[in-house]
Amino acid sequence: MWVGIFCEITEFALLFAVFFVARAHHPEAFRAGPDQLSLLAGTGYTLMLLTSGWCVARALHAMRRSDRTACLRWMLAGFVFGLGYPAIKIFELQRNFALGLDGDAGVFIVSYYYLTFTHLVHVFWGLLGMLWVIARTGFGAYTAEEHSGLEAFACYWHVTDMIWLMIFPLFYLLG
Amino acid sequence: MSSERRIDLAWLMLVLLSVGGAGIGSTDGNAVLVAVGVSVVMAIKLRLVCSYFLELHEAHPRIRRAVMTFCHGMPVLVILTTAFGDTLSRLTGALIG
Repeated sequence: MWVGIFCEITEFALLFAVFFVARAHHPEAFRAGPDQLSLLAGTGYTLMLLTSGWCVARALHAMRRSDRTACLRWMLAGFVFGLGYPAIKIFELQRNFALGLDGDAGVFIVSYYYLTFTHLVHVFWGLLGMLWVIARTGFGAYTAEEHSGLEAFACYWHVTDMIWLMIFPLFYLLG
Repeated sequence: MSSERRIDLAWLMLVLLSVGGAGIGSTDGNAVLVAVGVSVVMAIKLRLVCSYFLELHEAHPRIRRAVMTFCHGMPVLVILTTAFGDTLSRLTGALIG
């Protein structure tokens, strides 16, 4: 589990390094960049992912006390909040393209798409993993003593959440 | 306090910090000071996720150190690259032409 998580961390560490170098070379573009993006959408992603992570953490605790029904409910809630991320992404992309913020809109927007689309791919893997874990929980595959699959998924989802907590201020706040 | 209650409070703190942090970012101030404010909020949020959601204290010490280095390194890098952007630009200029 941790090998996969460290691969994810390494991938984003490299992308963050590229971001910092690009920002150092184009300070004006990056200073003006956040004003082009929707802070409401950025905050919305953050709240959706944090709330989804909270539900998954509660699901894990429910399983530890053998409450499978509560675990399933928390996981389903986590999935619904997790879906909020791609849902907001659709609205934000429509807004961005309407404003002409596409791949030709300069170094800030290109960096933004690189990092956020890579993160979106990780969120998709997480949502698919969550469906799998929900199904396994529903079929009674986990117990209070043995729920390593649920734990592994929770770790992945929280790290994906952490990565977003780093991406969000870089693009939406640092003007 | 139960572990569930601690998770609930951590989530509430994270939500408040996210909304408050967005307010810091939208202020027109000195770039380095804004970067410091944003980085402090980022560091606190990462710490909360590591402690209460990820339960990093239960991981192997090497894993814990590596993840914490990443989490502490990012806010520090945000401040350093804001304060010393020109230096970073000069140092990397030869690499990217």
